[in-house]
Order: sequence, then C-alpha cells, then structure tokens
Amino acid sequence: MKSRSQAEEEKKTKVYKPSRATQLFDVWRKLKKSKMALAGFGIVLFMTLAALFAPVIAPYDPGWMGSARLAPSPVHLFGTDASGRDLLTLVIYGARISLYVGLAAVMLEMFIGLVVGMVAGYFGGKIDEILMRITDVILTLPMLMLLIVAVAMFEVRSIHLIVLVMGVFGWPEMARYVRSEFLTLRETTFVEAATSMGASSWRIILRHILPNALSIIIVIATMDIPWYIFYEATLTFLGFGDLSSPSWGVLLERGYDFAAYQWWIITFPGLALFFTSLGFNLFGDGLRDALDVKMRE
Amino acid sequence: MTLRTYIIRRSIVIIPTFFFISLIIFTLLHLAPGDPLRGVTFGRSKIDPEMLEELRSRWGLDQPIPVQYFIWVGRFLQGDLGYSFHNQRPVSALISERITPTLELMLAAEVLSVAIAVILGVIAAVKHYSISDALASLGALVGYSTPNFWIALMAILVFALQLRWFPTSGTITLGITFSSPFHALLDHLEHLVLPVSILVLGWTAYLFRMVRSSMLEVLGQDYITTARAKGLRERVVIYKHALRNALLPVITYEGISIGYLFGGAATIEYIFAWPGLGQFMVDYANYRDYPTLMGLSMIIAIMVLLANLSADIAYAIADPRIRYE
Repeated sequence: MKSRSQAEEEKKTKVYKPSRATQLFDVWRKLKKSKMALAGFGIVLFMTLAALFAPVIAPYDPGWMGSARLAPSPVHLFGTDASGRDLLTLVIYGARISLYVGLAAVMLEMFIGLVVGMVAGYFGGKIDEILMRITDVILTLPMLMLLIVAVAMFEVRSIHLIVLVMGVFGWPEMARYVRSEFLTLRETTFVEAATSMGASSWRIILRHILPNALSIIIVIATMDIPWYIFYEATLTFLGFGDLSSPSWGVLLERGYDFAAYQWWIITFPGLALFFTSLGFNLFGDGLRDALDVKMRE
Repeated sequence: MTLRTYIIRRSIVIIPTFFFISLIIFTLLHLAPGDPLRGVTFGRSKIDPEMLEELRSRWGLDQPIPVQYFIWVGRFLQGDLGYSFHNQRPVSALISERITPTLELMLAAEVLSVAIAVILGVIAAVKHYSISDALASLGALVGYSTPNFWIALMAILVFALQLRWFPTSGTITLGITFSSPFHALLDHLEHLVLPVSILVLGWTAYLFRMVRSSMLEVLGQDYITTARAKGLRERVVIYKHALRNALLPVITYEGISIGYLFGGAATIEYIFAWPGLGQFMVDYANYRDYPTLMGLSMIIAIMVLLANLSADIAYAIADPRIRYE
C-alpha cells in the first residue's frame, strides 16, 4: 500500500521523456545558432540535391560533345573538357559518384566499427583485448598504401571494389570511439537497472547503450565522408581508379594533361571536392557542438 | 613498472604486430585473380613460355599461396626481400635507393608543420575567441578541407608554370653544372619548396586543431590557476606549465598519423616526380610487381611501427603515469 507522500514522490520524479521528434528539433535549434554549421548543412544539402536531380539541372547531356577546351562562358559556365563535353554537366554528374563513394564507405565503416566497438566495449576482457589489438594494427596502416596494394592488382577496378576496400580498412577509429562510449555507458545506473530487470545483453546493447552512443557515431561518420571522397579521388588520380565511373577524381585525372593551358579543366572539379569537404566538415563541427560530443581524450 | 621494462614490453609487442601486418598485405596482394607473372610480361611483346615456367618454379610461384607466404617470411627473416619481377633487381636495393628523398620530404614537412602548428595553436588557445583565433581556425578548416593532390596541381599551375618562381618537378635541375656545392644546394632547396609547402599546408591544419583544443583544455585546469595564483609570470604559466601537458596527446597523435603523412607524401612525390618511395610504389603497382610491393609495404609498416614506438616511449618519459597502466 502506498502512503500519500510516496505517491507524491512518484509524481515528482516522473521522468520527462522527450519524443524522437522533439530531440531532433532540439538538435536543429542548437545547430541553427551556429552560422558555420548552417553553411555546412547548406553546402551538403546543395551537393546532395545536385547529385539527385543531375538530369534535371545539368545544362547538357553527359554524353553531349561540342568544341573541345572552350574557356568558361555563359554557354558553358565551367568551360568544356578535352573531348568537348560540358564541364558543369560533368561536375554535376560527378557528384553522384563521389557522394556515393563517401556515403557507401561510411556505411561500411559504421557497420564494422559499431559491431567491433560494441562487442569490445560491452563484453571487455579477452575479446576486447584481441579486437583492440587488431584495431590498433589496422589503424597504423596508411589507407592510401592499402588501397594501392589491394586495388592495383585487379584488371578491372570497379568503384564498388574501391568502396569495399576503404570500408574494410576504415573502421578502426569508429570502433575505438564506440568502444570507449560503451565502456563508460556500461557502468551507468540505467544499465544496471536494465540488467537487474533481466534484460538480455543484446537488448541492453541495442536499446539502452546504443541510442546514447549515437551522437558520437553520427559526428564521426559525417566528418569521415569527405575523407573517403578524397581517397577515391587520390587513388583515381594516381591511375588506380575506375575510369568508367566519372567521379571528380576521374575528371581531374583526365584533365591533368591539359591543365597547363586550360586551367578550368582541373579547377572546377577540384573546387567541387573542396566545397563538399568543407560542407561536411562545417556540418560535422556544428553537429559535434549541438550534440555535445567530446572527441579525443 | 620502470621505464626500461615498459620500453622492452612495448617493443616486444611489435613482433606479432609486424607478422599480422605482413599477413594482411600478402592477402591483399593475392586477392586479385590473375597470373602473378603479369608483372614480368608487362610491356614486353614476346616472352618464351619455357622461360616463364622456369621463373615460376624458381620464384616458388607454382606453390600454393599459403606456402608462398611462409617462403616469404623465411626469406624475410634472413634479410632477403626477394627480387623485383619487373627488373630482376633485389627489392632491398631498389628501396634503399628511394628511401632518402622520402625521408627528407617527410622530415622537412614534419618539422615545419609541428613548429607552425604549436605556435599558432598556443596563440589561438591563449587568445580564445579573438580575431587571430578565428582566423587561424578558419585557415585550418580550409586547409584540411582541401584535397592535397589538387592543391599541388594548382600550385604547379600558378607558381611553377605561370609565375615561374619554382621548378615543376624533380630534386635538382638537370643538365647544368653548378659552380659550387652551395649553388647545388640552393637549387635543391628550390625544388623542395613546393612539395614541402603543400604537405605542410595539410598537416599543419590537423596539428593546429589538436594543439589548440588540447591547450584550451589544459588552460582550464586547476593547476594553471594555482600557478597563476603563485604569481608566476604568464609566459612561464603558458610555456612551462600548460604547453608541456598540452603536447602530450599531440605526441601520441604524431605517432599514429605518420602513416597518414606517408600517404600524403606519396601523392606529392608522384605529382612532383620526386624520386622517393611513394612515386616508386605507384610505378611498381602499375607493373604489378608482387615482391617489390610486398617488400615496400613492409618497410613502410616498419617505419610506421617504429614511429608509434618512439611516440609511446616519448609519452612514457613525459608522463610517468602511463607506465603504471
């Protein structure tokens, strides 16, 4: 039987649980305060829309060919490339490939990093030790070297292969952050409460700890996207890319030989890379502040 | 644990790590389907099939791949990295010809970027929210949002081809005799300016952020307040008390990211025709030269592991707490 004071106490301590939508709105409100973060969000949104609606907004067809190496003019805002294609059109279509590379590689990184980090951080002990040793080793290896070694040996280098290799070797940092989040969260009272109520390990991991670790995962993923885009572009520029998928890196690789006389051929695809990266970095910085994530120890 | 035991323990860990890395690289190299002797036939129109068979058995390529790995390990332990498929020269000789230019490039970039990043990082942290902080932070943001290889191309376009301030490529001007070693050195330094500047640009941006945030954190600590309360001069507080502690995470970061720096250097070498390991790697990957790529990757891995080790030791000396973990 409850006494009156007990009932009152319960009423007072009733937890206010905001809905997902409210939480999202909260993040947006904090994000809005930072002009830099908003600018980053704007750039990312702009690039994504350009990629999605490429056929609608591109002034020409990507296969269309006119006079080669025309300087930028109102007819061809970014000029034309060495084979007479409209560079603005190529840059817009290139966004599709480059953004795909960044997003797909980050998805893979998140998946592997999450699984490794969760298992290591939650279970600890021997398995943690083994997983972290592997993580440390892979973390020390230069990504570009791994990419060259793995991709160069293939006769046919598809863009998906490059994404796969990047994802397979790109997860260690994510795993480390997830692990350290899990190490901290596993000691909290709400996890203790869930354990005492008989919740299974997986339920605790997925329902109680993971949602609280989401912030840092989102921030790292956002900031890693430009890295993967850069790595693909660099690899392609070095001659180990997939030339059948015209990413910004492919445009730079093809344009390099003409750059001395036609500056625009390498300037615009490079600027596209730069602004995309800037956008993700600004947005990531803003998210970090809005979500109050502490990076690095 | 004494410092010595710590160093010994930490060094022993390198050995299994090294073999784990060699296994990863070996697997990656053999992931792609196709004849490993493509590297030998590369660029040659006709080759005697009998000779190919002989090479196959001499280099142990007729063995199953796991056996080949153990053959590689056995030879490696005797200091033998094998012979290049492309030109039949010892891999170790090829690498030692190329290692100095890479070390020169990386060292120059490393020293300069650490110096610039620490100075700017301290200024930005001490004058938090000032104009100089905002400008430096914005510069860093632009710096690491810029693709390294692209800015190198643009730099060649502007500073080498248009303005003709610096040479486009190589380590020294070919075809002229220098009147003195000093002139030769001057010419070499001229060749160094662009590639090093590009590397410094990207690298400083990262280090600056590290130093700044680490410094900001330290400046908020109680012992800094204590030092100030003792009446120490601000200069002493910042450089003696704060900076020393703020640099600790930077040391670790330096060790971990040496591999990243190598990746950047490799691209820059390729663009500036700098005859180092990076350019070498790109060339021999094009030849699909397995033994060379394997040997080269392992040399790079050793360099990275040693950098990590020295960073850990430096950390242990600077912060004795780490040894008791």
